[in-house]
Amino acid sequence: MELIKNTRFDFIGKRKFAYLFSLAIIVIGMIVFGMRGKANFGIDFVGGDIVQIKFSTASSIVAVRNELKKLNIPEITVQEIGTEHNEFVIKSPPKTSDEILGVLETSFGKEHFTVMAKSVISPSMSVTLRKRALTAFFAGLIGILLYLTIRFEFHFAVCATIAIFHDLLIVIAILAISHKIIDGTIIAALLTIAGYSVNDTIVIFDRIRENLRKTRSKNYAELFNQSINETLSRTVLTVLTVIFVDVLLLIFGGEPLKNFAYTLLFGFFFGAYSSIFIASAILIDWQKRSGFRFKL
Amino acid sequence: MMRNHYIKLGFIIAVIAYCIWQIYPPDKKIKKGLDLQGGVHIVLEVQQPPEQDKSMSDVTQRALEIIRNRVDGLGVSEPVIQKEGTNRIIVDLPGIKDTQRAIDVIGKTALLEFRLVEEDTKKLTDALKGDSEVLKDYEVLYTQQKDERGIRREATPILVKRQPELTGAGLTDAFVGYGPSGFPEVNFVLNKEGAAKFAEVTEKNIGKRLAIVLDGVVKSAPVIRDRIPDGRGQISGDFTMDEAKELAVVLRAGALPAKVDIIYQQIVGPTLGKEYIEKSLRASLYGVIVVVIFMVIYYYAFGLLADFAMAMNLLILLAFMSLFKGVLTLPGIAGIALTCGMAVDANILIFERIREELRSGKSAKAAIEAGYHRAWSAILDSNITTIITSAILFFLGEGSVKGFGLTLSVGIIANLFTAVFATKAIVDFAVANRSIEKLRI
Repeated sequence: MELIKNTRFDFIGKRKFAYLFSLAIIVIGMIVFGMRGKANFGIDFVGGDIVQIKFSTASSIVAVRNELKKLNIPEITVQEIGTEHNEFVIKSPPKTSDEILGVLETSFGKEHFTVMAKSVISPSMSVTLRKRALTAFFAGLIGILLYLTIRFEFHFAVCATIAIFHDLLIVIAILAISHKIIDGTIIAALLTIAGYSVNDTIVIFDRIRENLRKTRSKNYAELFNQSINETLSRTVLTVLTVIFVDVLLLIFGGEPLKNFAYTLLFGFFFGAYSSIFIASAILIDWQKRSGFRFKL
Repeated sequence: MMRNHYIKLGFIIAVIAYCIWQIYPPDKKIKKGLDLQGGVHIVLEVQQPPEQDKSMSDVTQRALEIIRNRVDGLGVSEPVIQKEGTNRIIVDLPGIKDTQRAIDVIGKTALLEFRLVEEDTKKLTDALKGDSEVLKDYEVLYTQQKDERGIRREATPILVKRQPELTGAGLTDAFVGYGPSGFPEVNFVLNKEGAAKFAEVTEKNIGKRLAIVLDGVVKSAPVIRDRIPDGRGQISGDFTMDEAKELAVVLRAGALPAKVDIIYQQIVGPTLGKEYIEKSLRASLYGVIVVVIFMVIYYYAFGLLADFAMAMNLLILLAFMSLFKGVLTLPGIAGIALTCGMAVDANILIFERIREELRSGKSAKAAIEAGYHRAWSAILDSNITTIITSAILFFLGEGSVKGFGLTLSVGIIANLFTAVFATKAIVDFAVANRSIEKLRI
């Protein structure tokens, strides 16, 4: 079977639309992100307690919320998970989970629910985790930038890195718009996206490199378009297989993998999109502006 | 030439056999992370002790050894206790059921002191008002009482001497016993030196009260009736049996050299992990099946080849985990599933290239050679960039994320071997000594 064969799309010619589209999502997302402030982040990065409880029979989220109001602690959030109306996740400020469990025990009875999981992260630990996440990001980006500079050349490496930035910004924008919370697992997803996004870019760049070596033509736009079209089938198929797995994780993987798979889904999609419309397109625009020659 | 093919195939079969032997039975060979089997993950921060001259790193090391003794007293099967930086200690207790007790045992300073009580009520009132004259030599401590919810609250203030007569440092043993009224209490035995000091203190202060202070709380303050020569005593104070046992464990292990703060604590109940495993494994299985079927539909026999490479990739990954005691976490399972999705990528690159070479008019064998040869640079580059990011996740990630970084890194490295070397060996073997007119790919 062969779905994509001998295509001749003018990707490079449409790049301005793509720039606008990406910019729109990023701008909207960043506005929402800015408005949400601390609410963007999970307790890993701002500190706090999370308790997950499961009642032996179905229970109402309103009842749980009302009981917790007695504590007079601001910023307690209760969220229902699963489908049986008996499992709740309670998020609260640092060192309040014991009080919360105390109240629940007196109101509902100790024997009627179990503590499935509990996390307590102090503000000082969250600072460490935040630093580590940022270090991981920059170490990852610098690593990729260096490797690509060695294997390709500097301009290619910079454009691939810009594409990664683009993908991460878009995904963070989408997370903000869909009111998701960024925690340690999401950071892992974002780094995976960074690593995977560059894969698609490399497949295209690899072909551009090959075609540049073969020809003396200076019509770069055409050469880029040709390279993208020649590798289009690959780009689509490689992303498709990993998206298959990811969608099934999203549907059947259960609560803790849900946000992880959700983040990756957009990451994989925009990773492929950006390898064409961002990485290759910016490389062309850059070449046009400064007129450098590719040293490959 | 043919001999070469047999050697390669033999090698592939040997790798597969070794991996299966290494993995089987998976339940025992692959270690599950805390999130999957339940347990506690704690990060403790050791506070600067009052004596400024001691190096923080040494203090943390001593605290770590004491915590290790306490954990041994809990009877956890495979605890991990390690130092991080100069002032942090990481404690992992997989599979532990009574998590709250474990946390109490680990986090308690357990500084046991014996301090003389000052009965003068005027001095006590002055001290409560903050009279610095009295507070120079004395200190106000409180007893505790349980409220209706069983939470201990401060009760009666007691004025005690600032300088303890004796500390728990001279303690050799502690065990649970029953007091005269039938309540559990903790018996302790002091070493020779401690016993001598204890005898001296009790002899000099007959008729006075001696407060038994644990971590700044007055547990009891019995009147000294007689000289106690043998260095034996009891700590009573409204304990449940579990609390008494817990106290005995920490007293035996000794007091921490400084106060510790629990700055990170993750508890996963045993049932939750089971649920996670079932769901994530099922989802992964579905994902892999879809990819397997898709590859066969899209590339026919070559798709089957890619599926074989993917299965081998999975085997190597699991064998590695078993061999190097890697820990399988929930994101790790997701990592394995995604690795399967990415594992076929290399083969897609190769197969698409073969199709391209065929279109350009090459013969079947030449197209296969060129396909593998020319796809190699893209495969190598893309795998290495993925390894860069996943290795960073492994080194910098916290807890379960580490497991994800590990499975992804190993999966991608194994991918170079299975998707390129192994499939090429099989294709070469299949087309050797045969003339192929048309390649169905």
